[in-house]
This record gives sequence, C-alpha cells and structure tokens, in this order.
Amino acid sequence: MASSTSPFLGADFLPRRLGPKPDVVPTEVIERKTAPCGGQPPDMVTVNIPHVGSGLVQQKLNLGNQYVSGTIHPFRKPQKTIASRLIREFSLVSTDRRARKVVLFGILNILCTGVLVSWCHSTNSMALMAYTYLTIFDLFSILTCLISHWVALNRPTATYSFGYERFEVLVVFASTVLAQLGALFILKESVERVLEPTDIHTGRLLLGTAIALFFHLLTMLVVPSKAFSHVSEAASTSWLQEHVADLSRSLCGVLPSLSGVLLPRMNPFVLIDIAGAVALFVTYMSVEMSAYYAVDTMSAMAIALMTFGTMYPMSLYSGKVLLQTTPSHMIGQLDKLLREASTLDGVLEFRNEHFWTLKFGSLAGSVHVRVRRDANEQLVLAHVTNRLSVLVSPLTVQIFKDDWSRSNLSPGGLAPGNIPAADWLATMPHSLHSHSPLTSTPTKSSNPTAEFSFGTPGL
Amino acid sequence: MEPGTQYSHNVISSSKLGPIGPSHSRLTRYSILLATAKVLTCVGIFQSYDVLKLLHIIHFVFYFKFGTALLLVFLQKPFSFGKKITMSQWLRILRHAFFSCIISLMWFYGLTLCGPLRTLLIYGHSDLLVTSLLSVLFRSSAGSPAKTRGAVLFVIGVVCLLLFDNDDLMAKIAEHPEGRHSSAITHGLHTAISLLGLADHKAGVFLLLATLLLRVGYQAASRKLAVDVGGAKRLHALSTLLSAALLSPWVLGLLTQNGQGGDSPSLLTLTGSLLCVIFTVGVLEFYTEALCVAKLEGPPSACLGSVWLINGGLLFAWIWGEPYSHWLSFSLAHGRSSTTEHVLSGGVLVSAACFLFATKFLLSPAQRGQKGNLIGYSAQGAPLYSFSSEGSMQPVLSPARFLRDCLKQVLEECDSRNIFYFLCLNLGFTFVELLYGAWTNSLGLISDGFHMLFDCSALLLGLFASLIARWKPTRSFPYGYSRVEILSGFVNGLFLVVIAAVVFIEAIGRLLDPPEINTEMLTPVSVGGLVVNLIGVCAFSHAHTHGGHVHSQSHAHDHSHGHSHSHTDHSGGRCDHSAVHSHGHGHKDHGHGLSTNMRGVFLHILADTLGSVGVIVSSMLIRQFGWFAADPICSIFIAVLIFLSVLPLLRDSSQLLLLRTPQEAEQTLSQGLNKVLGIVGVLSYREAHFWQHSAALMVGTLHVQVMPEAQEQRFVQQVLAIFKECGVTQMTVQVEKEEYLQHMNWARSDGHRSAGHVQCLRQHLNWNAGHVAMKCSEI
Repeated sequence: MASSTSPFLGADFLPRRLGPKPDVVPTEVIERKTAPCGGQPPDMVTVNIPHVGSGLVQQKLNLGNQYVSGTIHPFRKPQKTIASRLIREFSLVSTDRRARKVVLFGILNILCTGVLVSWCHSTNSMALMAYTYLTIFDLFSILTCLISHWVALNRPTATYSFGYERFEVLVVFASTVLAQLGALFILKESVERVLEPTDIHTGRLLLGTAIALFFHLLTMLVVPSKAFSHVSEAASTSWLQEHVADLSRSLCGVLPSLSGVLLPRMNPFVLIDIAGAVALFVTYMSVEMSAYYAVDTMSAMAIALMTFGTMYPMSLYSGKVLLQTTPSHMIGQLDKLLREASTLDGVLEFRNEHFWTLKFGSLAGSVHVRVRRDANEQLVLAHVTNRLSVLVSPLTVQIFKDDWSRSNLSPGGLAPGNIPAADWLATMPHSLHSHSPLTSTPTKSSNPTAEFSFGTPGL
Repeated sequence: MEPGTQYSHNVISSSKLGPIGPSHSRLTRYSILLATAKVLTCVGIFQSYDVLKLLHIIHFVFYFKFGTALLLVFLQKPFSFGKKITMSQWLRILRHAFFSCIISLMWFYGLTLCGPLRTLLIYGHSDLLVTSLLSVLFRSSAGSPAKTRGAVLFVIGVVCLLLFDNDDLMAKIAEHPEGRHSSAITHGLHTAISLLGLADHKAGVFLLLATLLLRVGYQAASRKLAVDVGGAKRLHALSTLLSAALLSPWVLGLLTQNGQGGDSPSLLTLTGSLLCVIFTVGVLEFYTEALCVAKLEGPPSACLGSVWLINGGLLFAWIWGEPYSHWLSFSLAHGRSSTTEHVLSGGVLVSAACFLFATKFLLSPAQRGQKGNLIGYSAQGAPLYSFSSEGSMQPVLSPARFLRDCLKQVLEECDSRNIFYFLCLNLGFTFVELLYGAWTNSLGLISDGFHMLFDCSALLLGLFASLIARWKPTRSFPYGYSRVEILSGFVNGLFLVVIAAVVFIEAIGRLLDPPEINTEMLTPVSVGGLVVNLIGVCAFSHAHTHGGHVHSQSHAHDHSHGHSHSHTDHSGGRCDHSAVHSHGHGHKDHGHGLSTNMRGVFLHILADTLGSVGVIVSSMLIRQFGWFAADPICSIFIAVLIFLSVLPLLRDSSQLLLLRTPQEAEQTLSQGLNKVLGIVGVLSYREAHFWQHSAALMVGTLHVQVMPEAQEQRFVQQVLAIFKECGVTQMTVQVEKEEYLQHMNWARSDGHRSAGHVQCLRQHLNWNAGHVAMKCSEI
C-alpha cells in the first residue's frame, strides 16, 4: 500500500483516503535510504546533505511512519555487494571535511602501524608489540569516529527503526573487546617467551616507542572520538585510573599547586599510552644497562594487563548498552519518576517496566499501566508520558483496565440493564472528550487545573 | 602542610567531627621513643646474629628467654599482683609458652640462615600490616587502591629477596658446621631445606615468612588469654618464664651430652652481648611497642616502627662490618672470615624500598569513598555515601557449595553440558600435554599446551554465557539475561577474527623467512588435538547445522557443512533429545539467538580442527617432499577459511545487537501493520519498533492513533492479537487520541520544558496537524 505512494509527493503530509479505511500518512521522501532506485549518483547524494542538517522536523516526522515504507525493503531489493555499498557509504561520509581529516589520520595510522610492526619483528621485542597493539586500537578509535560521522548522516529506516546510533556502541564494544583479546594474545605469547627466552635488539626500541607515543597522543588530540570520550567518562574507572588518582591525591597533599593537573579524572587512553611508554623506556634502560632481557617480557605483560584494566570497564559499559539494560545510576531516578506518576489520579499500578539504554546516554522504554475502570485513559497516558519522557525518550505506555468491557459498555448505554447500582458510576463521563479529570477523591476533582500543574518535574 | 589538609585521606579529621587527638609535642616524644627503641632492636638483632654464630641456637634461645623472663618478672611482678591464676589458665599459658618457644626457635634459625638485614625486612613487620595484607590478598572487596598497591609491593619485595638477591652463600653451605648445629630441630629443618633444593637464604626467607604468619595467628589467639590472665604484660612475663622452663631440660641434656669445655668460656665472654640482646629485643621493644600502640594509634605506630626498623637495618648492614664477631672469633680461634656474608645487594635495596612503600600504603587509613553508594549531597555540597550494604550484600557461600550449584546448573541443559564436557576433555588433553612437555623438557609441547589453554578461554566464555542466560530478569536487566548468549557469540566471533589475523600475519612472516621445522614431535600432538576436536565437532554439529542453514550462500560454509554432516549420526546418538529440541527452535525462529553462542563455540572448535589438519598435512608434505613453504601456505589457507566462516556469525549477532527488525519476520510484520491499519477506527500508527531480544523473545512497541469516539481497550486487544500471530512475544501498544495531544499541549504550556519533551510534542503537533487536515478532507 505504501509502495503505491509516489515518493515525490513532497515533505508535506498529504492526507488521502484509499478506500473505506483511513490511510496512513505517507512518508517524506528526501530520506536517502528509501529512494526507489537505491543507486543514486553521487551528486544526488551531496545534494541531500543540507536536508539532513536542516530538516530536523522532517526527520522526526519520518520516525513515526517508517514502517509503512518498510515494505519496499530498500536494503534488499537492490541486492548490491557489500563492497559497493561500503564504497557508497564511504564516499558519502568523505564529503564532510572533518571526516576527510579522520580518513587522512587513519591512513597515517596504518602506515605508522606497519612501520612499528616491522620494527617489532626486527627488535624481537614483545613489549613493543604490545604497544603496537595499542596503535591498532587507535585505528579502531579513528574508525569509530568515522562511523559516528556516518551515523549522524543516517536516519532511522524500516530495518533499523531505532536509528543507527547503536552502530557506535557496537563498534566501541568490538574495539575494546579486540584490544582485550590482543592483550590476551600478548599474555599467551609472553608466557611462551618466558619458557623460551630470546635476546632483543634495542636499536629501534626507543625510536619506536617515541613514534608510537607521539601518534597516540596526536590521535587523541586531533581526532577525538565522540563515542569513546563518552564511554571513557561514563564507564567506571579502571584500576589504572584508580591507582593514578590515588597517587596523585597523595602527591597533591605535598604539592597542592599540581591539583589542577592531577586531580581531575584522567583520560584512560592517555594514561595507558604514557604508562606503556614508561614501561618500554624501563625495558630499554634495563636491556641497555644490564642486558636483562626478561624485563621485556615483564613489561609486555604489564602493558597487556594495563590494556585489560583500561578496556574492561569500557567494554562492560558498552556491552551493557548492547544487552538492553538499565544503567544502575538511572534506576533510582526512574523509581522516583514512577513513584510520582503512580500518584496520578486513576493510576493503580505499573507493570512490565522495561527501560533500557538505546544508545549512549539515552533510554528507551515501555511500561504497562493499570488504571481504574473510570479513569480517563488519555489523560493518564498524557501525564505518565509527560513524567517519564524526561528520562525515557522513545516511550510506549500501554494502558489497560481490568474488566474494561463491562465498565466501558455501561456508560455508553449499550447495555443499560446490567449496571450495578454503584455510586461511582454516577460520576462516569459520557463524553471521552471531557477535560475534567475524573477522580474518586472530591478534593482533586474540584480543581482540575491541579492536574496540569507540573510544578515539580522529574528532575 | 596547611593547604595539603584538604587532600588528606581522613575526611573526618579535617572537620570538627573527628576524635580529639593528643597534642603534637607528646606525639613527637613517643615517636622519638619508638624510633630509638626500634634502632636499638636492630642493634640487638645484629648482635644476636653474631652471637648465634658462636652459640648453639637452643642455648641462645634459652638464655634469651631466661634473661627476659627474669627482667620481666622483676619489672612486672606477676606473682605478687593481680588475681589468682587457676589451673586451667596455667595450662593455657603453658601452651602459649610452647608456641612462643617454637616461634622463637624458627625466628632465630631464620636469622642464622639469611642474616640480620633480611630478617628485619621480613620479620620486622607488625601484625597489623600482615592482617591488612592478608585481607587484601584473600578478600576481593577489601581495601582501597592504595592497599592493593601496598600488597603488590609487598609481594614484589618478597620476590626480589627470593630472586634478585644474589646473596651468594654457597660457600657457607659447603662448610656448614653440621657438627655444631646438631640439634634435632635444626637438623630436621636443614634436611627439609636441602630436600627442597633451595639456597640457604631463600630457605630462610620462606622460614621467616612462615614464622611471621604463625606469629600473627599466635598473637591473635593469645588475646583472649591475655584478658583472662589480667593483661598482656603479665601474660608475656609468665609465658616467657614458662618457655625458659620448657627449654631448660633440653639445654641441660645438650650440656651433659656435649659436655666439652668449648661452650662454657664463650658464655662468659658472650654475657655482655647476650645482655644487650635481652635488653633490646626482649624487653625494650616489648614495652615501647605496648606504650606507643596505646599512646599513638595502632597503624601510625606500626608504620613508624617498621620504617625505623628497616632503615636501621639498612644502616647497620652498611656500617656493621661485623667487628664484634671478628673480635670474638679471633679471641675464640674460630677463624672464619665472614666479611662478605649477607652483605647489601641491589635486590635487597629494591626490596627494602618495596617494603617501606608497602608499609606506608598498607597501613594508610582506609579510604572507602569510592566503593560506597552515592546517596546524595550534603548541604555543603559534599557527597554522601552509604556503606551499609557492603557487608550484607552477598551472603558468603562456601566454595564447595558454590561449585556444586554451578555444576548442577551446567549439567541441567544440553548446550552447557556439551560445552562443559568438551571443556573438561580439552583441559585434560592440555594438562597431559603440559605435563608430558615438562617431563620430556620439550618446549614445543608446552607452548602448544598454552595455545590450547588460550583456546579454552573461548569455551569458558561460551559456558559462562549459557549459564548466565538462564538468570531471572532484574531491575537492570529488564528483559532477562538471555541476550548474553548473543553477545558471547559476537565476542567469540571477534576472538576467531583475532586468531585468523594472527595466524595470517605469522604465516606471511614465515613465508618470507621460512624457519626450520622439526616435524618429529608435531604429528602425534596434532593427531591428538585432531581427535579431541573431532569429538567436539561431533558434539556441537547440531548447533551449527541450522545455524548455517540460514546463510548457505556463505563461501566457507561448504567446508564446514561437510564436516558437520559427516558426523551427524554420532551426534544424534550422543544428544538425541537436544537435537530434536533445537530443531524445533530452528523451525520457529530460524536458528537465531539460541545457537549464536553455540555457533561461536562450534566455529572455534572447527578452527582448531582445521589447525590440526593443517599441521598434519603440512608436516606430511614437508616430510615427503621437503617442501617447507607448505606450512605457511596451509596456515594462510586456514586463516582465510576461519575468517570467512566467522563472517556470517558476526553479521547475524551484530544485527541482533543493533536491534534490527528481524529479517525473517519482516514480511509478516508489515502484513500485521497493514492489518492494524485495517481496524475500523485506527487513523495511523507510529514508533513501530520490533526486535529480536533473544531466541525466545521478540519485542515490539507501537503507537496507534485512533478516532476520538473509540474505546482504547478494544484496540489494545486487537493489536495485541494481531502481533501475537506475527510471533511477537512482548508487545506494548499505546493508543492515542486527539485528546492526548491536547493534554500534552496543556502540560507544555505549564512551563515544562525539557528537550526530549519538546521534541516529543513537536511530533505530536505535527501529527495533529496532519490529522486535522485529514479530517478536513473527509468533510
């Protein structure tokens, strides 16, 4: 049905009736994904970008009626190969100037990583290898940055009805898990290295360390990934951070002037980069001065453990988002809102409360509300939505009444014979449009405006 | 330190709420007293080391105890004051004395083994520090990061003493005067040590550590007795006296047995040094410590004491040079040059520094702000935490019971049972390999064993996921834990990608620079691995058969399918019930979710199998044709195969995690939505979200806009019925009317302006506009 609507009707809502039943509002058409042919020329794509930036309202409108156009199945009809799709998305993203910078950095990072890997082979140093893995992680962070750009250009479609922001979460999770797996691999290799000690050459060790550290810090500075910075702030502190915070607190007791630098929460990535560089430097010194090769394995293990420590809280956080959980710090606030909402007139109880993290920093949810039989459903719906929408943005509230057929049939006059002679039925409304809220408590019903005064919002 | 107070650990002490401490000058007096006593103790320990070279250890301990007891009895007068001691209390004091004898003997024997400085470093720690260390090491939730750091430093210090302290005493072992130390205890200890094959001072370190632990336990146990008897000092005096009495028959026996005149003149010459030891180590330290613990607080005095003890030890180790011992040895003609014995070394210095910092960190006041739950903020803006739940949060289960429960849960379901059995098999094979490798000293075998352990972690992950997935929903997991299986499948997929990448890179390195490969050992090992993994493939193939069913277009799939088919008959025999069960599921939701975890595990085992096959093939090629490039080429081939076979798993699990509308249900869902529009009275709908939460749970939400006159509950029931047919297990429907929007407008005009809210309203307004327009067109 929706496929019959011409995609070039324009962005307005054109109400039509197809047949006896009311039709849906057609979708707006500038949406890139639902374009009928799928393979638009690149110039068309570039034309679309200003729309993306400006058409916030249209975007929001689009949210609702996606599924109607979903029968087109824009992703599957063209049946293009993965490569060409990737190239298309990439060309779309690379039109942005900032994204081009990110891509440039990615290429630089790949070059640097290649050089470092070859030096790892030539120096035979495990610690440098572990540090190079961190460079590869930087590559992932650059990729995350790119995906954030891409996500910002896309709007929810039929297949991904919540939008594409969860891609960011998945990429963050995947990259932190990959870093941990790499650290696990380094640990395993180190154990093997302990069994079979080998000599290492310190020739390029220090140079490699310096280059890697420079690149890490440059990447952190120039290409800050929005998703990663959010995760590193929102996730619980890693043990490395905790120890550094503890040490620096003691240090600030001695040198208070440093408190501005040391006391705020350290960026975990900068911390691990610097700590890894220090470990490599120690390795270099001890190999140079006393030919103590076992230090290399030790510091590789230390870097791997630090990588674990740094990445674990972040992967825990993003993994919890992927598992559709309620963050523990939100439970209290949600409880407060629900308690407030349960005092609304007519609300009996909440059931099936499902509030979960949709993407970084936003909750989605659904809740079933049992209301009294004489309650005005739309009023309750509006108020509950109003309370909860402060925290939960895509919210669905299902209102249900026990024994609704009887209670609703009776005031409509359809079955007047079986009305029990209850007092409350006398106050039953005969029009659902009435604005006066129905209450059993006379104090509340006497001043209907009290229902609308949201003097104390949820936060 | 004025500005520093705001960063001090103890928040209470900086405010006016804290305990009122004594004045600063008095504290300084006591600290100076403590420092002096500790430095004198160092002197005593060094002295006693010298004395012990000349005197039999039993004699020494006896003289030490006896002298101390005399002094203490004189000072304390335990018989003339205090309440009367009953018979049972005497027995308990006797037991106390017996243990104190044993501890002293071990301590001084340790001293002879590893020298005064190392003794001070290890044995000089206070009980408080040791309890704090133990609580950090053995209780996961105990302690701030500072304590953890302290514990780690302590362990590093011990390790430094053990490994990096090249205190070369081999010469001493060679000329160990076995005749002199011929008492039963020292002889027994010595044989035990030589049986363990440790160097002398390392054995001393172990002995002293054990003694330290024993002492801590002993002190803790004697606390009640001290209260009963009437004070720790009285108990100490009595117990020392009794221990001297306990030792006296032994000493007499030794004297009559040896009977020679070698010792008796030395006793006279040694009287001075013995008195010094008795005064410093026996009496002065005891009294000062008791005083300072009472006057200063426990942790600061312990910290101060340890610091001075370690520093004093370092100082004396540097300047002592054993002149007194020399003088004695020369005078007694025991010519034994011991100037190079137990000197300072780099390892000792490092470990001394470690111990110093460990003392500092471990005895730092507990700072618990980071683990508490934030309740709110005080009027001044300081955060308030609650710690009450910490202790009562989790009832402590005994480990055996916990393991039994876990095992029971594991064995309940076929999937986890399969993983568990295979994990056991794999671990068994790994340990056999490791043991055999260690036995034959083959490094290749050992490293292969570690590789197997590495692989076992993936199995362990799958096992955990299948366990956790059965947990009940909680507040923070509103839909239950079943999604964990999908996540675990994803992580296992990533794991395989890493393995494939590593194998690929290594293979390229070997292709460029082919090493010599010894194929002798490889073949039996890889055949063993192949057998183990083939069993796994058999057991898990049912998980893959419909897992791969959906994606038969996958390139690498043909290969794996062949594998799984060739063993389906076995698997049917092994786990018939589950095969049927999961087939049912497979028909219902096309093998998603349930098998995601199992698919990950299966692919992992498959990759291992491929690896074993690759090793066998390449070693055969090398042996037959001497074609060394076969190995890296096989590796590359295998890496590519692994990568390609893992792609579908990654794609499916990531689509599930990204809340994609279920691909299989797309058609039925859009039909369902059309049906919703077909209901009389429905105007439109929005916010149609459907996703597969886990294998058994498809969730959906929908907002439906209806005519103003209609009854909401009827629509709810109808829409729910429609989507139940579509296979949505949890549906939430919000029925909206125009009235709802008017209410929302009201709410907005009342000045409630949060960003999300306004956006929400904007949507509503737009819908409203459309709706009104529609009405107009109707008319």
